[in-house]
Amino acid sequence: MSGSPVRSPRTQPAAQQLSYAEAIAQGTAQAMELSRDVLLIGQLIDYSPGVFGTTTGLAERFGAERVLDFPVAESAMTAAGMGAALAGMRPVLIHHRLDFMLYSMDALVNWISLWRFKSNGESRVPLTIRAIIGKGWGQGPQHSKSLHAWFAHLPGLKVAMPATAFDAKGLLLESIFGDDPVVIIEHRTLFGLKDAVPAAPYRVRFGRAAVRREGSDLTLVAAGVMVPLALRAAARLAQEGVSAEVIDLRTVSPLDSETVLASVAKTGRVAVFDPTWASFGVASEVIARVAERLGRRLKADPIRITHPDSHTPMSAALEALYYPNEEDVLKRLRALAA
Amino acid sequence: MNAITHQKILAAGRYRDVSLEGVDRETARRLYRFMLRLRRCEEALAAEYHPADEMRCPVHFCIGQETVPAALSVLLKAEDHLYCHHRSHGYYLAKGAPMRAMFAELYGKETGANGGRAGSQDISFPAVNFHSGAILAGATAVAMGTALALKTQQRPGVVVAGFGESATDEGIFWETVSYAALRKLPIVFVCENNNYSVFSPLLKRQPTDNISEKVSAFGMKSAALFGNDAPLVYRILREAIEAARAGSGPAFVEAYTCRWSGHYGPASDDLVGYRSEEEVRAWKENDPIALLEEAMAAAGQADAAGRTALLKEIDAEVADCFHFAKSSAFPKGGDWRAMNYAAASPEADRLLVEIDEAAFDHEQVAVQAKGY
Repeated sequence: MSGSPVRSPRTQPAAQQLSYAEAIAQGTAQAMELSRDVLLIGQLIDYSPGVFGTTTGLAERFGAERVLDFPVAESAMTAAGMGAALAGMRPVLIHHRLDFMLYSMDALVNWISLWRFKSNGESRVPLTIRAIIGKGWGQGPQHSKSLHAWFAHLPGLKVAMPATAFDAKGLLLESIFGDDPVVIIEHRTLFGLKDAVPAAPYRVRFGRAAVRREGSDLTLVAAGVMVPLALRAAARLAQEGVSAEVIDLRTVSPLDSETVLASVAKTGRVAVFDPTWASFGVASEVIARVAERLGRRLKADPIRITHPDSHTPMSAALEALYYPNEEDVLKRLRALAA
Repeated sequence: MNAITHQKILAAGRYRDVSLEGVDRETARRLYRFMLRLRRCEEALAAEYHPADEMRCPVHFCIGQETVPAALSVLLKAEDHLYCHHRSHGYYLAKGAPMRAMFAELYGKETGANGGRAGSQDISFPAVNFHSGAILAGATAVAMGTALALKTQQRPGVVVAGFGESATDEGIFWETVSYAALRKLPIVFVCENNNYSVFSPLLKRQPTDNISEKVSAFGMKSAALFGNDAPLVYRILREAIEAARAGSGPAFVEAYTCRWSGHYGPASDDLVGYRSEEEVRAWKENDPIALLEEAMAAAGQADAAGRTALLKEIDAEVADCFHFAKSSAFPKGGDWRAMNYAAASPEADRLLVEIDEAAFDHEQVAVQAKGY
């Protein structure tokens, strides 16, 4: 595992400023150009809104056979994605909300995740599942769940949580052309975020966290949509003289323990930002791994920055209390640093 | 519509309608040989299962249900794909997977079809496009996806999904039938209707016995038939598979049959009282192998000497398979992670470029720190 914060000056490849959604659209189009085996399946993906702009125009370019508007039959759709993968294709399934894919848990748990294992390595299921999480404007309890911990719990399945446009494209391409099934958790509120995205079809490897900001007093480990929050908190702490290192996990399965451990070994203090419920989650897993290796070297008790163990409310007034807010997070981080 | 039901089959008593029409001599011989081989194999496995207890996995024996795999063994080509349920042995052999590897799999040996990872109810042989699974209807949808791939890429081949009628209790089955019909996919669904989900009879679970009538309402061709008539099963499946191969779309075939043994294991589970002795006896009187043998004998295509010679050959093969399985080594184990994930990603290596990520890191931090 790398994720080394060491940076050397190199020539920057051709890049453009793209939003997270545009980066996904570009990566998908490039994948479809690169291989006839790539097939998109999802509801309404061939209409102009194109799943928040991530599939717009692809049906016109690649045809309805490869950009497939599927009936509202998530269960059969997911199993069918596996069947197509077993026949050599590389399907990408798209869910406007992760909540909608829960009818497909049998396909994921009993078939897709274990097919390689069960075949003693002879079968492969190169299947990519994009699952979008909603937040705000009253998404409520059936449009906002991030169940990445469920998926990461399963052997045989990989789980990506890109937090940048760069990673959204690179991890998507790596998923499509890799040989394992992947669930990519995309957060709706990231879709407008722009950053520099290389024009080439490039890869971002699984299991390599990125040190987004270097620091020496605290380690802030964040996944997906929590990364911007952790970075903003780190920037404000810097003004107060606290130096926080921010690690973007990028993929939660496999989880890059080494990058986290190297940082915590340096700082002795860790906060894990996980955009879901606290209990039995990725934050718990990260802290367990830290405790197993560095428990006696910690200078303070680790903390989890998560949602409460409650379903998501609709009302904006309750939403404001439900999602971690920057001021509360700062208070907790100051206490961690003290 | 005068639909077949289990009740009508039992009321009709001894079946006398086997006809070799449309089944040439060689095909009849192959059907007969396959069924006899499967029966002897299952009987031998059943006899060895207890008390030896060396096959330490659930086994669902298919004695009495030999006709569908036999017909498929004649009809399917190498390029075709076959998916089935947990009562898997007949289908496994039908697709041409080796019997030795099946036995070794049941014994949990490294030489098993799946190196001892899967066992009887989950066995697969990917090299011949054969897969099975124990979650009933799940495999029908996976099979549909394979058919979707064949159609999308205009590749040759058909897909056959074999399952029991209990799979049609599950919603995913109907999602699958609907989509296969909508897209005219090259797939044939073959339902072995043995009337029982373990103990629970179909009429306790669904309002009508006949599944094929319901499938018709989904816009798919369907046929229900007496499933112990091997030539009939062969003719109907041939028609369905040829049509799917020619691009005419999917079909559903419902073969009414009976499993002679208990749901799993070699012993009878009739003590539970879920079916009567008379019922099982009536089905045994319509033994699919005996029915075919009679028709072949009447046509001068089978005799006692031929049967004896065939059994000798089959029994030698079965004995060899036991020897192979028992003398093979157990798997050694190793890196669990490597058993669950790919070690390499050759397609990504071939198609994607490496980028110096560090060159982009600062910019992303700057963008993200501003928030969104």
